[in-house]
Amino acid sequence: MPDPAERYDVVVIGGGVNGAGTARDLAMRGLSVLLLEKADFGVGASGNSSGMIHGGIRYMLSDRRVTELACRDSGYIQRIAPHLLFRIPFLMPLASRGEEATLVERATWYATEVYVGTYDKYQPLKRGKPSVRLSAEETYALEPSLRPGLRGAVTLDEWGIDAFRLCALNALSARAHGAVVRTWTAAREVVREQGRAVAVRWQDALTGERGEARTAAVFNATGAWSPAFARRHAGAHVPMRPGKGVHLTLDRRFSNYGVICTAVDGRQMFLMPHETESIIGTTDDDYYGDPDDLEASNDEVEYLLEGVESLVPGVRRARVTRAWCGLRTTIHAYGPAEDALSREHALHDHAAEGAAGLLSISGGKLASYRAQSQEAADRLVALVGKPVRPCRTHEEPLPGGDEVPDPARLAAEYGVAAPAAARLVYRHGSRARAVLGLVRDDPRLGLVLCRDEAILAAEVVHCVREEQVRRLQDLRRRCRLAVGGCAGTDCARVAAQLAGRELGWSAEQVRAELADLLEVGWRERRPVLDAHQLVQEELLRGVQAGLGVRR
Amino acid sequence: MSAGAPGSVAADLLVLGGGLAGAVAALTARERGARVALVRRAPGASALSSGGLGVAWDAEALPGEALRSRRGWLESARRLAARQPEHPYAVLGEALEALPAAVAFTARELGALLAPPLERNRFLATANGAALGCALCQRGMVAGDLLEVPGKLAVADFRGHLGWDSRLVAGGLAAFAALGGPEPVALQLDLFTGPGQGLLRPHELARALEPPGAAEEAGRRLREALPAGAGAALLPPVLGLDPAARVPERLASAAGLPVAELLSDVPSVPGLRLQAALDERLRAAGVELVEGAVERAEGPGEPLLAGGREVTAATWVLATGRFTGGGVVRRGALREPVLGLPVHAGGEDPAGPRLHSRPPAALTQARCFGPQPLLAAGLRVDRDLRPLGEDGRPVHPRLLAAGAVIGGHEPAQDGTGLGVALLTGWLAGRVL
Repeated sequence: MPDPAERYDVVVIGGGVNGAGTARDLAMRGLSVLLLEKADFGVGASGNSSGMIHGGIRYMLSDRRVTELACRDSGYIQRIAPHLLFRIPFLMPLASRGEEATLVERATWYATEVYVGTYDKYQPLKRGKPSVRLSAEETYALEPSLRPGLRGAVTLDEWGIDAFRLCALNALSARAHGAVVRTWTAAREVVREQGRAVAVRWQDALTGERGEARTAAVFNATGAWSPAFARRHAGAHVPMRPGKGVHLTLDRRFSNYGVICTAVDGRQMFLMPHETESIIGTTDDDYYGDPDDLEASNDEVEYLLEGVESLVPGVRRARVTRAWCGLRTTIHAYGPAEDALSREHALHDHAAEGAAGLLSISGGKLASYRAQSQEAADRLVALVGKPVRPCRTHEEPLPGGDEVPDPARLAAEYGVAAPAAARLVYRHGSRARAVLGLVRDDPRLGLVLCRDEAILAAEVVHCVREEQVRRLQDLRRRCRLAVGGCAGTDCARVAAQLAGRELGWSAEQVRAELADLLEVGWRERRPVLDAHQLVQEELLRGVQAGLGVRR
Repeated sequence: MSAGAPGSVAADLLVLGGGLAGAVAALTARERGARVALVRRAPGASALSSGGLGVAWDAEALPGEALRSRRGWLESARRLAARQPEHPYAVLGEALEALPAAVAFTARELGALLAPPLERNRFLATANGAALGCALCQRGMVAGDLLEVPGKLAVADFRGHLGWDSRLVAGGLAAFAALGGPEPVALQLDLFTGPGQGLLRPHELARALEPPGAAEEAGRRLREALPAGAGAALLPPVLGLDPAARVPERLASAAGLPVAELLSDVPSVPGLRLQAALDERLRAAGVELVEGAVERAEGPGEPLLAGGREVTAATWVLATGRFTGGGVVRRGALREPVLGLPVHAGGEDPAGPRLHSRPPAALTQARCFGPQPLLAAGLRVDRDLRPLGEDGRPVHPRLLAAGAVIGGHEPAQDGTGLGVALLTGWLAGRVL
């Protein structure tokens, strides 16, 4: 039986960065909010984005005001999550095809300098450093992996982020401000009465529990799923041209700097160091398939490697650990190539289609999520029609963002290795103290589960207790469990034991969760099984055999 | 061993590869009086062994079928051969019937480490609480055979270390109680609670139990924690690195009941023991060990250069393993690196197009827990273990393959375990 008391001002559907960010904004303004996510935070386009908070340099050609807004918002994100952002300096190499640069090539270099130089005006908004023109000698000193024959480079300063954590932190902040947050819970139906969306029926995928939430407004922030969602539940239309974006992860920091490359078709792409790994991105192709059935193909992997190889030839010897993908929810336009589509966002009010109170979002980008959420929250507040407090998401820190402790001091204070402390500070900010407090209370939790990047047992326990972990695979996104080179060979079982104890799983559940964790990773490894990664897979098959799962 | 130029070796049989298949081939040939050289660049993948050596398990058993009524490893291997014509068990034809002899030989040669086999599989527990059927296992694991526990099975972990969870193991094993297994009882030993001990790696824990008094102390703790009616105790697979330290025996004697280790995952202390036992046995048997990567290899009869030494033998056994061992590599396409032999990905029609250079997604299936042709890739051999060339004929009359370098099976997934390694190793060693 549905609980008749289950009433909210707004039901937000989708735990990506727009849904979580909007839920946070609304909850902070004083509205009652229910956030429904059918899987886990950020599993769609948000978590599978490039993981950058950039300033929108590409918008300078069309609308400088957008660049200014993007840079300003990037600055806000640094203010509210200073621990979670890291600087990624990029090189835009100045290449020529022949011995002597042609006039056109020289003009292109000059244009690049002017372009990046103009962007410099906005860099202070996001604490970015101004660009520098490097000589060939300086370029090779900084980045020896570049192919010979370059004429120099121009630098460009951007910021990286763990996008999964950004989504989770927004949702957790919403929860702390009173929102009810349900993961692994799908919205089954939007109930309409007299042309209004009045309730959302939901079902918990793990427990089977069902409920009906009465509400004044529904926010459809389901990303690539939103056209189908709006059509099925409200007969409404969300115009979208989904674009598939594939990234590759290399097992280590392959270059010192990000490198902007040109793909075979002239598109810009990149190789960049990101935390302990490097990322190559990205493809951009129209996608007509099922968003639930997304996998990188061999030609996409080749396209990306070939593009990077043109400037960093050694990339062919790199160990590719994963190929992962997401769907850009690009605003629909008929005609332009994928690359030329606007990255703007749009809000769709479905009142005219017989679903007043239902609002959908399409488009947008990770770096502007906060501004997008603010705009969506403004619209939803208007639909609800209650007095609220003003937006504060640009001021109030996300969980752990109130302070960035000094890792060296923390390491000494709690008696853990400095890299482990640094990692905790990066991922948890001031809450690293809470994680290390677990080690102080129970030294066994200092056990290093992953020797690639020092995931401590304590971090697993902390995430399970504090960060809404319901399935083992949620730890892939909270603390990068089993996403590194070894794919869980070393860490998965012990992490499952810890999570199982905290969550009261039976032995059978622990094994099922382990099997699920390996299965999720397999989808990302399958397209790139080669060389050392194939060796690792063979070892991992032994781990699977130990689960006793019959095929 | 006769020698021409300094450092050069002349032998009757040259074995390439230092894992179980290579070692069994070398030891079999030595027993028959041949001069044997074994070239290896590193310990084989056998060093990652769980401690149990599977051959085949009864894949046709019904869910809920009693453990005791399940088919033994030989009959299971025959049925596996009938189901999968590409499996080496099938390719070998009647030679599959040599499996008991090969298993017995391996158990005898490594008798200090391995227990004598039974006709049935022993059902041994993993750290996840599953039970796997093993034809052979290390002596310190025998008492954990689910069909041999006389009473309750006490499953223990260490209070000071989070590496194992006895409730997970016992919870998983409880499902086997209805199938003839013992009733498992989880308990915790008051061990490894000292400063820093909770952070030790498995081999460090194993070493810590070796000194005089340590295993005895652990045994006393176990005795205090035992439930009434316990017939045996299962512990994490860290009961001493060196079998000569007799940790399981000392622990059992102090506890007053049989003690066994769980099967291990990697990094594996039992695997390290297996590799050490192989090394010791190879040296004792007079096999000439040549350490180093192969620098030049043209084929049987031609001198092979490895580790700066020249080795000449009329017959070669290629026992270089699969991906972990380095016997098959993939860089864009599947390749056998020593002699450039054609590699086949399982499931392919010999008369059809070659699949070795197909992209990985084309050689795998989306469901992880199923057969994956890419991971079953390897050489195709004839009945006499001679690798086949592109034309489907043996590449060389005196070139043989043994172990995981032979394709058509996936040791970790189809229940084959190290069965192919010890059978083909044994057969290859008898070629002379």
